[in-house]
Amino acid sequence: MSGEAVFVSGKRKYVFCGDQQGIKILSSLIERVKEEELLLEIFLIEGGTEWSQLSKFLKDQKMGTYLYVVLPNEYIQKAEEVAEATGFSDEEAQYIGYGEKVTRVYCCRCHGIKEMKNAEEETLCEHCGLELSVSDHYSVYHNAVLGYVAKL
Amino acid sequence: MKWTDNLENFPYPFKGSTYRYSNNSIPMKLPLSVEVTLDYKEEMKLKRNLLTHHPERCYQSLPHTFTGQWEIVELVMEHLVAQYPEKFSLETNESQWIFHNKILGEKHEFTFGVEKSLPCEPLAFISRHVQEDLILMMQRDGDLYLDAGQLCFPANWSLAFNLGMKFKSIHHPIPGFKEEGLDDRILQFLMRIEAGNPWERKNWSLMAGDRLDTSLETFDQWGLLRKQVTKENAGELVHIRVEVQKLFRLPRSNAILFTIHTHLLSLEKLASNPEWLKQFYEILSELPPHITEYKGIALYKEGVLDYLEARLGSGKVL
Ligand code: HEM
Ligand SMILES: [Zn+2]
Repeated sequence: MSGEAVFVSGKRKYVFCGDQQGIKILSSLIERVKEEELLLEIFLIEGGTEWSQLSKFLKDQKMGTYLYVVLPNEYIQKAEEVAEATGFSDEEAQYIGYGEKVTRVYCCRCHGIKEMKNAEEETLCEHCGLELSVSDHYSVYHNAVLGYVAKL
Repeated sequence: MKWTDNLENFPYPFKGSTYRYSNNSIPMKLPLSVEVTLDYKEEMKLKRNLLTHHPERCYQSLPHTFTGQWEIVELVMEHLVAQYPEKFSLETNESQWIFHNKILGEKHEFTFGVEKSLPCEPLAFISRHVQEDLILMMQRDGDLYLDAGQLCFPANWSLAFNLGMKFKSIHHPIPGFKEEGLDDRILQFLMRIEAGNPWERKNWSLMAGDRLDTSLETFDQWGLLRKQVTKENAGELVHIRVEVQKLFRLPRSNAILFTIHTHLLSLEKLASNPEWLKQFYEILSELPPHITEYKGIALYKEGVLDYLEARLGSGKVL
């Protein structure tokens, strides 16, 4: 999901989605598609852009479209979920997160959310003090992973 | 609390001598979404208490679920009065409905389809009359989403965390589910369920203690009992927990109603049936570590096996 955007040739159309920084990160790729005179479209995600707008934009794309999405790490997983829901498979898209990676951990006991800058396996809930074991059970709705009771 | 679930009524879940995850759903013979058992009054008291004191843990819904919620009210009431006419009745005059719960001595008048005519959301309302937990799975974009639910007796999961979650993501914690392609097969199966042709399945687990309300939110408390299990006390302390789960398509919202009726039986009672004792012993001894671990049995499996062995050896019935 992270890493660098890689050019995949032979697609009918290329779609680039991202915030300003994201589109900048994609600029050399966009240049290349332009040079090769391939079909392309850019979807700029700004402060007020809603996920439903992205979803609608992606739904309107036809078969054979290849998708690049670049967003800050905290949003990239949600973007992937949205794109997948509109029918983009792993083979038709690349998702690249940039910047600080924040993991939001949902406390199983008090439902409080803790934002973690560094990936740790265990952490203390800031709200109720429970020792949490950080899982990979992810909720799009909460944009958070579940923290389970670490020790009985 | 002593649950009166007895041997005759217990939904014994096992077949064969091994257990693996599979799609073990079967078409329902008697299409009922809910069932009233001997523990009805006790369980309703417990459930209502939980709903009052822990609303966030026990009830969640998204705003677009009202059509589905009303369909659940209708379906469940129809089933209650059809199966238990001496316990429930329903009078309808167009959209003016009067529901009578004779076990609890309650009469409720409301206008079907009008939220304001009920004291709470429709799903919360009907859930206060049945022992089952009720989950509404909305279908859209080729997927099922947990968009509303009432959950008082979960087997160690959180409704609040799972709200809005897709079927496959809900099942992400289960080892091997995705790798074996089970999550996708079951999802495809669920999306093909048709109105009028409901399905059911049983899920089982073991637990130390006899609480019905084993929420993930309180696991740090009730989970501690796992450390207390010994060969000597396993018969009384450890319970087999069986969920009878039912799946109904709701025709108007095209959603799925998933009902969960949880039954508990002490190992002591389970073992009093010699065939069950033998079969359960075989299954538990053979159970692979990933399943034992996921079901939370790993910590006390040895104590349970020792207990069952002793019972097998003694040949005593009680
Ligand atoms: C459509 C409604 C359903 C919902 C809302 C649902 C929900 C859940 C939840 C919340 C869990 C616990 C996951 C966790 O650890 O956090 C679970 C476990 C599980 N589910 Fe489902 N489920 C549904 C249908 C099914 C069906 C039709 C099957 C069919 C085979 C199934 C098979 C399982 C299995 C095997 C487990 C693991 C249980 C254990 O080992 O004790 N589920 N389900
Ligand atoms: Zn907490």
